[in-house]
Amino acid sequence: MVPVSRQDIAWCPGCGDFPIRATLEKVLKELPLPGKDIVLTSGIGQAAKMPHYLPYSYFNGLHGRSLPLAVGIKLARPELTVIAVSGDGCQYGEGGNHFIHTIRRRLDITILACDNKVYGLTKGQSSPTTDAGMKNALDPQGNLNTPLDPLAVALIVGAPFVARTFAGDPQHMEKVFREAILFKGTSVVDILQPCVSFNKVNTYPWYRERVYRVEEPLRERSEAIRTAQTWGERIPIGIFWRDEQFVCREGKEMFRKPVAEDAVARLLNTKCIMMR
Amino acid sequence: MEFNVLIGGEAGQGMFSVEMELSELLSEMGYHFFATKNYMSRIRGGHNFHMIRVADKPVHALSGRPWDLIVAMDDGETERRHRPSLGTGGVFIGADRVGQIEAEAKGSFQDVSATSTILVGLILAFIGADPAETKSAADEPARSALAKGRDFAARWELAGRMVIAPKAGDHCKLDGNQALALGALLGGCQFMAGYPMTPATSILHYFATVAAEIPVHFEQAEDEIAALNMALGASYAGLRSMVATSGGGFALMTEAVSLAGMTETPIVIIDAQRPGPATGLPTRTEQADLNFVLHAGHGEFSRVIFAPGSIEGAIALARKGFDLADRWQVPVFILTDQYLADSVQVMDGRVPTKMLRREYPVFEAGYKRYAITADGVSPLTYPGLSEARVEVDSDEHTEDGKITEDLDLRVRMVEKRLRKMEGIKQEAVMPSRFGDRKAATVLISWGSNHLIVQEAVEALQAERIAVAALHFGQVYPLAPKMARGLSRKRLICIENNATGQFAQLLRRELGLKVNHRILKYNGECFTVAELVEKVRKIVG
Repeated sequence: MVPVSRQDIAWCPGCGDFPIRATLEKVLKELPLPGKDIVLTSGIGQAAKMPHYLPYSYFNGLHGRSLPLAVGIKLARPELTVIAVSGDGCQYGEGGNHFIHTIRRRLDITILACDNKVYGLTKGQSSPTTDAGMKNALDPQGNLNTPLDPLAVALIVGAPFVARTFAGDPQHMEKVFREAILFKGTSVVDILQPCVSFNKVNTYPWYRERVYRVEEPLRERSEAIRTAQTWGERIPIGIFWRDEQFVCREGKEMFRKPVAEDAVARLLNTKCIMMR
Repeated sequence: MEFNVLIGGEAGQGMFSVEMELSELLSEMGYHFFATKNYMSRIRGGHNFHMIRVADKPVHALSGRPWDLIVAMDDGETERRHRPSLGTGGVFIGADRVGQIEAEAKGSFQDVSATSTILVGLILAFIGADPAETKSAADEPARSALAKGRDFAARWELAGRMVIAPKAGDHCKLDGNQALALGALLGGCQFMAGYPMTPATSILHYFATVAAEIPVHFEQAEDEIAALNMALGASYAGLRSMVATSGGGFALMTEAVSLAGMTETPIVIIDAQRPGPATGLPTRTEQADLNFVLHAGHGEFSRVIFAPGSIEGAIALARKGFDLADRWQVPVFILTDQYLADSVQVMDGRVPTKMLRREYPVFEAGYKRYAITADGVSPLTYPGLSEARVEVDSDEHTEDGKITEDLDLRVRMVEKRLRKMEGIKQEAVMPSRFGDRKAATVLISWGSNHLIVQEAVEALQAERIAVAALHFGQVYPLAPKMARGLSRKRLICIENNATGQFAQLLRRELGLKVNHRILKYNGECFTVAELVEKVRKIVG
C-alpha cells in the first residue's frame, strides 16, 4: 500500500477525518487478530472514503448501504471482523432504515459514524443531525427539522454498545474504538467531527468548550438514553451503554463448506416438497 | 385421453388443499398432470380457482378445453363464472353436494378440513384410480377420507366417468419456484436475502426451510435495497448468493444492480414477474419486466438474462446462472412469472444434478481485484484467505480498487467491463427448436410460454398446419447464431405483455422483423386452445 502520507487524500486540510483515520489505523493494528481478517464497508461521502486510506480489505459501496453490505459479509463469514464506517448522512439519512434494522439483527458488527452534522461532499446541506435553525444552501431560512439523536435511536432499538467520542480527543477515540470493535455484538459509535469547510457552528473550539467525559457506562438503558440526548451547553462523550449480558447471534460456518451433493440429491428426490 | 377439473370458491375455503393433496397423490400414483391456480390478493373471501389437468401423456399447460368436472366450494360465484365452460357431459358439484361432503367430514372425522381429502377421493374415483393404489398412497386418516370420497362418487354415479391411465411412472413433481430454488442449490448458492413479495415468496420459504439442515443461509431483509446489498456483501465475502423478488421489489434493487455491475460482484437475481405498473395485479401473471431488467441500473455494464420455460429449464438455468455469474463476474437475471411459479408439473426430462461450486484461488499481497485482462475478467478471490487485500469500490477505480478520476483509465475500465459480453455471447444458451423445421412460419416464445407453445404446435400439426417454433431460455445477450435462418421466415412472437418486448429486442439485437404478435396481458396465462386458435387465424 502507498503510505497514507504519500497518497492523494480527498479530505480538506484540517478535516476531522484525519485524526479519526490515524486513530482507527492504530487501533486496528494493535488488535489481537490478523489484519487479513478485518473487512471495512462504507457508503458514499467524505468519511466513506476512509477504507481507501487504511491497509485492509474493503467494500466501498453505495450511499447509505454500508450496513447491509456489512450484514451480508458477517453472515457469510462470521470469523471476519466487520466494521462499517461512513458519515452521518450515509448512516442516519440515506441508510436510516438499515441503521435501525442492522442493530436489530444482533450481529457482531461495529458501526462508526463520522458525524460532522452536515453533508460535506455535496457542499454543506442539512444532514439528519444538523442543528435546528442552521442556515445552508437548501435551508436558507435555517434548518426546520428536529435533529435526530442517533444514539438514543440505537439504544431504543436495542443496541448493546453505544458510545460517543470526539475527533478532537484521539486518546478518547482510541479507547472507544478498541472497546467497540472488541465488543461481541453490534456497537454504535457516533464520532463528533467538525467539518472545517461547511459547518461553521460545530467547530473544534465549540466542541472543546462543551464536551465532557462520562467515564463509566451507565447502569440503566434509560439513563444511557437520557445521557445520549444531552446536547447544548454540555455534551457528554464516552461509552454510554455496554450490555454485558447481550447474546450475539451465532454465525453459521458456510465458507468453503459447500452443500453436500447427497443432501441436494435427497431434496431433489423428495417427491413433493411441501411449501405453503 | 385427458381430464380437466376446476375447483373454485372463496379464499380460505380449502381449494388449495384439494389441489395440493390431489397433486401429491397423482404424483405418487404415477399420473401425468399439470396444476395451476388463479387467485386474488387476499387471504379470505373473493374468488379463487384451481385447475388440474390429468392425462395419459405428458401435459405442461392448461388445455383451454371445457371442464369435465367443476367443484364449487362456494354458493354461486363459481357456478356463475365457470359453469358456462362446463363440457357436454361434464359434471358440476355445487354447494348442496359439497355440503353433504362437509357434513360427512364433520361426522366421521370431527374435522371440516377432511372435506378436501374426501373431494380428492371423489376426483380420483372419477378418473378411475385403482382403489388399492389410492389406499397405499396415503396414510390414515387420509386413507379413510379418500375411501369416503370414493363412496360419494359411487353414490352419485361418478366413479370411472373418465378413466385416465397412470403412465408417468416414477417421477418428481415441482412448481416453478421450487425448481428455481433447487437449481440455485445445485449451482452452489449458499446465501439468499429477501423481502417477501408475491409471486417470488415461496423461493424465500424454500431457502429458509432447507437452510436449517445444510450450510445455506436465508436472511429476511428490511427492504429489497438491503436484500441485494446483503447478497452482494455475502458474495464479496465468498458465498454464491442470490435474491428473489417481483418487479416492484426489483425496482428498489436497481441501484444495487448497478453496484454489482461496477464492482463486478457475482450475483443471481430472480424476478418473478407479475402485472404492473406499481402494485398491479399482485397474484396474476405477466412478462412485462423484460425491458426493465434489460435496462435496470444506471451506467453501462454486462449482464445475462435467462427466462426458463419449464421445470427442467428452471433447474438447469438457475444452476448455470451461478457459474456464469462467477465466471464473468456479472449480474445474472432469471425472469420467471406467477404462471410458472405457481404451476405444479411433472418433471419428465433430465436435469444436470452435479453440484457446482465456487473456486477459492489464493493470491499474494499486491493482488489487484480489477486487473485488466483480455476477456475483461479479473482474477477473483475473497477476504481473509491470505495477505491479499480484496478492495472493491463503487466509484470508478484503479486496478487495485482505489477511487480514481484518471479518465484514460476510466475508458479502459468501461471497455474491460463491457468486453465480457463477447465471451458471454460465445457460450450463449441456444434456443430450443421444435415443430416442423421446414415450415415457413416460426412461433417465437420466451420464458414460461415454452410448453404451452409446444403443445399448441403439436395440436396445429394434428390439423396439418405446419409451424416451427423457437423458445429462448436465454433472452439476453442475443447472438446471431441463436436465430440462424429466421430472417426468411414468417415470425410470430408470443408474449404475456402488451407491447411485444421480446419482439422489439429481436429487432434491436439481431435485426429480425417479427411479422405478427400474439400478446396477452389480462393477467392470465395462455391456454393451448386459445393459442391454437390465434395461430390458426394468422396462418390458416
